[in-house]
Amino acid sequence: MFEFLFSYPSRVYEKGQFVLLGGWPVWAWALLALGVAAGLAWPYFRSRRDAEIRVQGWKAGVLWALQALMAILLLSLLWQPALLVATLKPQQNVVAVVVDDSKSMSIADEGGKTRAATAKEILNAGLLEQLKKQFQVRLYKVGRSLERLEKAEDVQGTQTATRLSDALRGVAAESASVPLGAIVLLSDGGDNAGGIDLATLSEVRSRRIPVHTVGLGREKYDRDLEIVAVDVPARALADSRITAQVTLRQTGYTKNKVNITLRDGTRILGQQTIVLKADNEPQTESILFNSGPAGPKALQIGVAPLENEENRANNQVTRLVNVEATKPRILYIEGEPKWEYKFIRRAMEDDKTVSITSMLRTTQNKIYRQGIAEPKELENGFPDKAEDLFQYQGLIIGGVEIGYFTAAQQELIRQFVDRRGGGLLFLGGRNGLSDGGWGKSGLLDLLPVSIGDRRDTFKRERAKVELAVGGRDSLIARLVENPDANIERWKKLPEIENYQETGAPKPGAVVLAEFIAGGKRQPLLATQNYGRGRTAILATAGTWRWQMLQPLEDKSHEVFWDQLSRWLVTSSPPRVLSSTPKQVLTDETKVQIRAEVRDKNYLPVSDGQVQARVLSPDGSSELVEMRPEPLSAGQYVATWDAEKPGAYVAEIVAKRGEEELGTDLFNFRREDGVAENFGSEQNRELLEKLSSQTGGVYYRGTDASKLAKDISYSEAGITVREAKDLWNLPIVFLLILMIRATEWMLRRRWGVV
Amino acid sequence: MRSRIWILSLVLAFAAISLTYAQRGRRSFDDEDGPVITPPDANEKTEFTFSRLRYPSYRGGGGYWGVRGSWSTDYPKADRQFVQGVRRLTRIHVRSVEDVVDLDSDEIFNHPWIYGVEVGHWDLNEKQAAKMREYLLKGGFLMVDDFHGSIEWEIFLQSLSRVFPDRAVVDLANKEPVFHVLYDLDERFQIPGIVMFYTGQTYEQDGVEAKWRGVFDDKGRLMVGICHNMDIGDAWEHADMPRYPEHYASLAYRIGINYIMYAMTH
Repeated sequence: MFEFLFSYPSRVYEKGQFVLLGGWPVWAWALLALGVAAGLAWPYFRSRRDAEIRVQGWKAGVLWALQALMAILLLSLLWQPALLVATLKPQQNVVAVVVDDSKSMSIADEGGKTRAATAKEILNAGLLEQLKKQFQVRLYKVGRSLERLEKAEDVQGTQTATRLSDALRGVAAESASVPLGAIVLLSDGGDNAGGIDLATLSEVRSRRIPVHTVGLGREKYDRDLEIVAVDVPARALADSRITAQVTLRQTGYTKNKVNITLRDGTRILGQQTIVLKADNEPQTESILFNSGPAGPKALQIGVAPLENEENRANNQVTRLVNVEATKPRILYIEGEPKWEYKFIRRAMEDDKTVSITSMLRTTQNKIYRQGIAEPKELENGFPDKAEDLFQYQGLIIGGVEIGYFTAAQQELIRQFVDRRGGGLLFLGGRNGLSDGGWGKSGLLDLLPVSIGDRRDTFKRERAKVELAVGGRDSLIARLVENPDANIERWKKLPEIENYQETGAPKPGAVVLAEFIAGGKRQPLLATQNYGRGRTAILATAGTWRWQMLQPLEDKSHEVFWDQLSRWLVTSSPPRVLSSTPKQVLTDETKVQIRAEVRDKNYLPVSDGQVQARVLSPDGSSELVEMRPEPLSAGQYVATWDAEKPGAYVAEIVAKRGEEELGTDLFNFRREDGVAENFGSEQNRELLEKLSSQTGGVYYRGTDASKLAKDISYSEAGITVREAKDLWNLPIVFLLILMIRATEWMLRRRWGVV
Repeated sequence: MRSRIWILSLVLAFAAISLTYAQRGRRSFDDEDGPVITPPDANEKTEFTFSRLRYPSYRGGGGYWGVRGSWSTDYPKADRQFVQGVRRLTRIHVRSVEDVVDLDSDEIFNHPWIYGVEVGHWDLNEKQAAKMREYLLKGGFLMVDDFHGSIEWEIFLQSLSRVFPDRAVVDLANKEPVFHVLYDLDERFQIPGIVMFYTGQTYEQDGVEAKWRGVFDDKGRLMVGICHNMDIGDAWEHADMPRYPEHYASLAYRIGINYIMYAMTH
């Protein structure tokens, strides 16, 4: 219909440039149009008060408008309007036809046919023939790599990955010396190499090559559940409780109950029953589990296949967690003997994962040290050198007045969090927080809540505690696994022995628990991130009653302090911290190794020698030199090819001259034949975006035959400029007829014929 | 008129009885040296309170042995005089007056340090022993003092074995942290009660040698500090008595402070 009325395909109008071929100036057209309109208005104006004239007022205006429109339209045709459009010169251009050959193309969701079969059918049903009549056609298939084909039948749909970016770059590179007019991509859009990268897109766009895409496969399954993402910390302390955030999406199973299971080999580490939400709505669930003993762990996280599920291979993923054998240390300084000190120590002493070193001011001039590693540790009191304080991963400041610390020590405390990335916990006490002058100190911003400078905020009154909204998902406050039961468990805890009044939480802080005093809820436990580290406040020195006032077998006091202490230290980085953006390489080979290197004062080291020794699954090892990353002090990177599937270990060794800066380990894993199982529905969004950003068009499989006509309109390759006349369009004549007919009908109705 | 006088007399008598009864929890006992005055800050809320264990007495046939049972020996002057020293010599926030706790309610769990005197006369029933066991295993600390000789030791052990049937009482070595937590107390000697003024001896009965013993938990932490064949309580009580030798009182204070400091740190 469009082409009948407008003579040319819509693509001509999209790509064409409007021009007037008549040669007369546009201002002359405007002047004449104005004159004609005015001339036609004159008789109406002159007879506006003539009672015998039947058409006046708005009716006269309508008739005048129709006449003027008609006159201007005819006048416009004299200027010969046309569209100037670039078209590919026949037989002088190359068109690349790229067919997706990945495993997802073998899914039979095209009316019983596989996507690959549909692609071959489209090509063989005339598209290839038509293209060949106008262009030189190069046929490719893409999976892990790009491969030239002789015939469409060679597409099998068996490759274990789809790398569309690589394919586009490859086609562009192969055709660098020939006029490439367009790229035609037949795919389900299931790219699993991170999508189309910006560099590829820029290259294609700079050469003005339109990428036309033909989408294959169903856009939505009727019945499927897919694990979309799983987020687990790459590192964990031994025997600590950690959370896996599992995001899943489903269609056709709304309100069904399913079990999310987390396994290490055959051992189930955690599971949770959930009710599935609405179709296509991403649903994120948290599963708590114990990290167990030290060592690398490959966790399988997923849901058992459901009844009649269309894709059963996207229900499980693997994630790696390196459970570290290190025992982070916490320094606890307390300003006076108190029961809380004793019971915190007892709770932490039972913890095999974190060690606590404490210094207690027993008298005005005496400090009692416990948990020291060697006799001289803390001999001279609180550390006044960065290297002494930064050997700890966590710091607890009990009821110590700010004046106890020198200005240099105060700055060191800030740097402990900000630069070293340690965890800092403030406790309540009669000499702590605002009663200890912290409200007027320069370290005020380290506190997650505001405090004033009042000196009577510490109250020796018992108070009930409850979990705050922010604490419901927190690992620190999880005394029992079930989140609802946990809320109730907190309500049943014995009252705390005392509390300290503070102000409101600061922006970015999270209140995990509250106490209720005088009918008012106030922050008990709040946390925030600060610099590279994190800080928390526990506005009491009276949680010891949770130990003494509950049955002997109750472990809530120990569990709370274990979890709080782990939170303090778990994210405190070592001096050499290695990582990789992707620990599980699904059908990929390239692994990026990153390392952040700091000296004993935790200042970035930019002149270090950093090497990665990568141990492969077959036992062989390779030394990889890492290079400093420009503009990021202390950061080193390297890219390495993991040639075989399996588990790898990378050990990073950093030196500066003869000085050993430190070592670190991380694990990664290459898995093949996995990526294509995920995101296997047609990714129409990606294909459409690719087309629209390159000046191409997205076609459904059923509309692919239109492609042969549209493809000629391209700016790439060898083109000619064609002027397409617009004066003789059927729509123009139809418009003229309609204007005249409307005027005639109105005149008849108003009796002025 | 006569009936009004009768009624008034009855009301006054009732009021007097009520007031006396109300003072029961914090009685102003007269000690050997005269009445003890309640300090003005007696109601101050503090971190630490000297908590005296009230136990049923062996001689009392299972009861608390009347108002002045053996649990209340030296009470309250020893307690109050001792805490003045704790206040002066440490940073512990201490109340000026003591609390009395027993094993018949859960109130004891609010007092992680308790002092038992003359435990050579205590007689805990099974229920009380079980509560004491729970208290100690949760982290409570018991210091016992002022019992002498083999007979009182046997009586002490009878109740202690109900508390811990399977835990040994061990002699404390000098290196134990309880003797070093604040003061280094390698040189300890027998601390006598004022009975020495009459007997001329620093020991009582056949308890010639001071014994520093204890019961540990599974992690090697001292739960019960046993001061046998000595009378630290008397030394606290009579520290202000010119006749009582200073070196005994001084050691008694240091011992007491170390036991409290240990209980607050371990």
